[in-house]
Amino acid sequence: MIRYLKIYKECIKVDFATASTYRLNFFLNCIIMLLGDIFFPLITVLIYGSGAGFEGWTVYEVLLIQSVFTMSTAIADMTFHGIMWATMDLVRNGGMEMVLILPVDTMFILMARTFSFEGIGLFAGGAAIFTIAILNIPAPSVWEWLQFLAFFISGLFVIMGIGLIMAAISFKWVGNSRIPEIFDCIRSFGKYPQSVFPKAILVFTSFLIPIAMIAYCPAAALLGRGNMTMFLMILPCVIFLLFGIFLYKYMVRLYQGVGG
Amino acid sequence: MGISMRALKRQLNVLRAVAVVTYKEWSAYRTHSMVSILVGPVYFIVQYFIWTALFKGRTEINGMDLNQMITYFGASTLIGYLTMDFADWNLQMLIRTGKFLTFALRPIHHRFFALSRKLGHRFLGLIFEFIPCYIIFSVLFKAPLMPAHIGWTVLSVALAFLMVFYIHYILGMTAFWFTQASGIRRVFDLLSGIFSGVYIPLVFFPQWLQKALFFMPFPYMSYVPVMVFTGNFTLAGVRIDIPVIVGIQAFMVIITILFSEILYRASMRRFNGVGA
Repeated sequence: MIRYLKIYKECIKVDFATASTYRLNFFLNCIIMLLGDIFFPLITVLIYGSGAGFEGWTVYEVLLIQSVFTMSTAIADMTFHGIMWATMDLVRNGGMEMVLILPVDTMFILMARTFSFEGIGLFAGGAAIFTIAILNIPAPSVWEWLQFLAFFISGLFVIMGIGLIMAAISFKWVGNSRIPEIFDCIRSFGKYPQSVFPKAILVFTSFLIPIAMIAYCPAAALLGRGNMTMFLMILPCVIFLLFGIFLYKYMVRLYQGVGG
Repeated sequence: MGISMRALKRQLNVLRAVAVVTYKEWSAYRTHSMVSILVGPVYFIVQYFIWTALFKGRTEINGMDLNQMITYFGASTLIGYLTMDFADWNLQMLIRTGKFLTFALRPIHHRFFALSRKLGHRFLGLIFEFIPCYIIFSVLFKAPLMPAHIGWTVLSVALAFLMVFYIHYILGMTAFWFTQASGIRRVFDLLSGIFSGVYIPLVFFPQWLQKALFFMPFPYMSYVPVMVFTGNFTLAGVRIDIPVIVGIQAFMVIITILFSEILYRASMRRFNGVGA
């Protein structure tokens, strides 16, 4: 465990050194991610500005959901999401063999190696909108903050699970650079109040692929709308992550090399 | 006259040959395109329910009713499949690696070659993205996706096809000046996503911004053909007849083509053939 922590620390140092070397590129990418991030909630502001809105949801409540979504995405981008791109690339160009012969767990080393500080711009944008939103809703209690934390971590499990499943798919669907689009479109259900979707979709987003846990549930907890169903949803999140890990490791075992 | 006709015929033969080869080449990766059969409808479902919820208890938002809004997003997705382009990425890669030199020596203008490739590639998009998604949107979601004026819509989509191509080609040419121009591409992608009306109809933006957008290339890439499809064009509170807005779109395309040519000539003077 300590050895793995040391490896992870080294990978963070390497990424920091890279970002320091290509400073301009790093800052540009951070700014672009920050701007892109600001635009997404801007749509919500424009919609509410036109006098429309989601029934039972104020603009700040919707912004809260979207800012939590952004922060989750940023953390995922910085810490583990890179495995999807790395696996896709390595499988396609045949470089996966070089990773497989390393005396560490393949999944771990790919996540560590793809650690990226660039998501920090995204996180900063999300955190700024989160702060604005939180200042415009009734102050959450300590218990609500604890619920938020539990749901937020469970949401990260879901993102990691989806990322690992997509990465696993790239072992068979070699070189398809559009796999992440599937990931993005599935996640898009999680950016809005779940009350806008019909029951059939809610079952899907709550229990099958618990996308609602990425942003809706943590935000609902802060708004005092947390309930027992949300606590029950933690279990599918854990199962989903375990399934992602299992599938990825299984595909690594099946991998025969040579690229595609 | 005979010579110019022969030259035109030759150009058309080249265009057809490059387009057919590109089509065959990308057919090997048709599953790339077929990802849209899943992604397109999923995004559409999300938009469908969001706007249905937003229209609860209202008949119109910013002058658009629910049916128009559903048509807007359906048409926007479908037209996007026909106009999609990555000429900028290709050109930047060729310049950076020095491979552009091989094109500079060929008896064919690289821009014409790239346009021909886009034709082949988007024909594949028509078969594996546009048609399946059109059927899904129309049959499964009952989205009203019949263009109000089919002739004007086809013309406007064709102009958008050219606009998107020339704008991306201009972006690609920035690589003659900058070693790494991927940042510029990303900024542009972000801006075009916002201001071409892909995420939200432009009528939701403040009036001053809507007025400014008339003079930018973005609305002519998606918003104009989509609104022509719906049969009503309004921007900045100004309602414009369909033939007039298509005429304005054609004018903007010509301006863009001229700018592209000026930039291409300047680029050729700068190009050293070494790469970076």
